[in-house]
Amino acid sequence: MLRIINSALLLLTLVAVFALYAIKYDARRLEARINMQERDLEKLENHVAVLVAERAHLARPKALEPLARNLGLAPIAPRQYLRLEALPAADTGR
Amino acid sequence: MMRLLAARADRRRPMPMPVAATGRTPIRRRTFLALAALLACFVAIAAQLLRLGLRQEADLHLNVAEPIGQSWSRPDIVDRNGQLLATDVASHSLYADPQLVLDLDEVIEKVTAILGGLDRAEVRRALADRSRRFTWIARGLSPRQAQLIHDLGLPALAFRTELKRVYPLGPLAGHLLGTVNVDNKGLAGLERWLDETAKVEAVHGPERSDKPALRLALDVGVQHALAEELQEAVRRYSASGAAGLVLDLTDGEILAAASLPGADPARPADWLDLRHADKLLAGSFELGSVFKTLTVAMALEAGVADLDTVYDVRRPLTIGAYTITDLHPSSRPLNLREIFLHSSNVGAGLVALDLGADRQRQFLAKLGLLEPLRTQVGLSAAPQLPKHWGRIETVTISYGHGLAVAPLQLAAAMGAAISGAQLSPTLLAGEARPHPKPLLAPATSARIREILRLNVTSSAGTGRRADAEGYRVGGKTGTAEMPGRGGYQAKAVISSFIGAFPMDAPKYLTLVMLFEPEPVAGLAPGITAGLNAAPTTARIVHRIAPVLGVLPRPIGASEPKEGPFDALTAAQ
Repeated sequence: MLRIINSALLLLTLVAVFALYAIKYDARRLEARINMQERDLEKLENHVAVLVAERAHLARPKALEPLARNLGLAPIAPRQYLRLEALPAADTGR
Repeated sequence: MMRLLAARADRRRPMPMPVAATGRTPIRRRTFLALAALLACFVAIAAQLLRLGLRQEADLHLNVAEPIGQSWSRPDIVDRNGQLLATDVASHSLYADPQLVLDLDEVIEKVTAILGGLDRAEVRRALADRSRRFTWIARGLSPRQAQLIHDLGLPALAFRTELKRVYPLGPLAGHLLGTVNVDNKGLAGLERWLDETAKVEAVHGPERSDKPALRLALDVGVQHALAEELQEAVRRYSASGAAGLVLDLTDGEILAAASLPGADPARPADWLDLRHADKLLAGSFELGSVFKTLTVAMALEAGVADLDTVYDVRRPLTIGAYTITDLHPSSRPLNLREIFLHSSNVGAGLVALDLGADRQRQFLAKLGLLEPLRTQVGLSAAPQLPKHWGRIETVTISYGHGLAVAPLQLAAAMGAAISGAQLSPTLLAGEARPHPKPLLAPATSARIREILRLNVTSSAGTGRRADAEGYRVGGKTGTAEMPGRGGYQAKAVISSFIGAFPMDAPKYLTLVMLFEPEPVAGLAPGITAGLNAAPTTARIVHRIAPVLGVLPRPIGASEPKEGPFDALTAAQ
C-alpha cells in the first residue's frame, strides 16, 4: 500500500515538476512578448511624436501666411467691423 | 537507571536485514527508482523540446549589450493655445567599435561621404584608438542618413537610438526657448530653466518624458506677426537690428518677444555669437525720451507739478560745463503736458531738478529699474548706473541718458506707470502669482494714460504715426544716440516706441526698438523714432489686435472716455 502511495507521489511530483517547468517557460515567453509590445509601443509613441512635430512644422505661421496671402486673405481691418445696430433690418418676408 | 542503560544497549545492536518478497535487495530497488526518476526527467525534457519544436516560435533572444550613454528627456513646450514649440523625437546616433574596424580608410571615406559635416581627422583619431570599444561618430542623424550608413554594412558601425530636441517652428521665439546640447541638456533660455527646476529626467534610451507640457504665455500668431513686422522694419529702414515685445498689462504675461538678428534653437552656436544676443534681456541700453514718461509720472506722484505746471524751456539748460538743448527749441514756455508732447529735454531736466536726485533714484528703484530683472530665462543685464548721481546725471536720466537698462525692464516700468501697479513679466501662462502691488496713485497713472494717448492723437505729438486706426494706441517715442568712441554718435541711434492699447482700458503694452535706422526717401526723412519705430508699432498693432480679440472703435465714432480702469481689479 505504502509502495503504491509512494509511487503515486513520485509520479505526482514528476507531473508537478513538468507543469511548473512548462508554466515557467510560458511566463518567460509572455514576458518576452510584453517586452516586445512595450518596445513596439515606444516606437509608435516616437512615430506619433515625429508626426505631431511635422504637423506643427507644416502649420507654422511662416508657412501658412504666404498660402493665405495667395488666397487674397489679410488680417481683418477695422473697417470690416460693424456694430450690430448698424446692420440693415432683416427682411422677414411679412 | 539500570533499565535505561539496558534500553540504549538494545538500540546499538545491529538490525536484521529484511528481504523483499520479490527477491530484490533494497539497494537494487533504490537504484531502480533513481534510474526511473532520471528517465522521467529526460522524458520531460524531450516532451518539452517536442512541444517547443511543434510550436515553431522563436523564443530565443540575443541580448546585445548597449553602450551606456546618458541623455535627458524633456517635456514638450507649447504656446498658450497648445501649439507645439519644442519636443523630443527619437533619432539615430552613430557609434563605432574601433576593434572591429577592418579597413580604416574605407570606413572614413564612406562615412564622411554620407555625413558631410564630419571632420575626417577627428574620425580617424577616434577610430585609430583600438584600445577602445566605443566611440561616437555622429549624433542625431536624420532617418535617411541612418539608412545610408546602415546600407554600407560596415561591421564596426552601429546605431543607438536616443532623444533629440526639435523645434518645429524654426527660429521663432528662439531667444525665449533657448537651446540644448547633444545630450539634450538645456544650455540657455527656457530649456535651461527646465533643467534648473528639475523638469527633465536622465534616460538611457529614447524614453520620452511623461511630464506635462510646459505652457508658455506666448501666442505663436502674435509672435509671428511681431517678428515679421520687425524684420520688415529692419529691411525698410536699413537698421542693424531690432527688438520688440508684446506684454499683457494685467498679469505681466509675455505674449511675444523678438530680437533680431534672431537665434535658432537648433543652432547652439548662435548663443556664442554676440550679434545674436537677446537685445531685450541680455543688453542694457539708454533708451532716450521714453524715460520722460517716468519723469512726468515722478513729478505727478511727488506732487511737485501737474500737467498744467509751466516751465520756461526757451533757453538751453546749463549745468556746470554741460549744456542741454532741445532738437526744436520752443519760443514760449511750455506746460508739463506740452513738454511731454514736444519731447523737450530742457523741460524734462527742469522737472527732474525740481524733484532732486534722491527722489528720482527712489522712484526709479520703486519701479525696479536699478536692479536686474529676473524672469524664467534668467537675470537681465545689470542696469548701468551713474557712478555719481549728481545734478547733471539727474537731468540726463530725466530724458533717458546716463542710465542704461534692459528694454524688458523698462517695458515693465512703463507698464507700471500705465496701470499703476507693479508688473512682473513672466513667460509662463496661468501661473499662480500674487496680486500686483499698487505702485502709483490711480490719478497719476490716469494722467500718464491721458498724455500717452495725446502723444499719438495730437498734431504736436511725436507718436502720431503709431496711431493704428481704431485701436486707440498711446505711447512715447525715444531716440537715443548710441555711445561710441569719443562720445555719442549723432547718426547712430536706437529709436524706440513704447505704447499700449486700447488706451481707454489698456490691456497690452508694445515695445519696438530699431538699431541704427537710416532715413528713407519719401518715407522717413530722418532717423527719429516718430518716423520709424512709431509706424512700425502701428503696423504691429493692426496685425495683432484681431488675434488678441481687441475690437476696433468703429470708424467715425468719437473717442470713448476712459472707463474706470484699474489694473488691480483687471488682474483680479
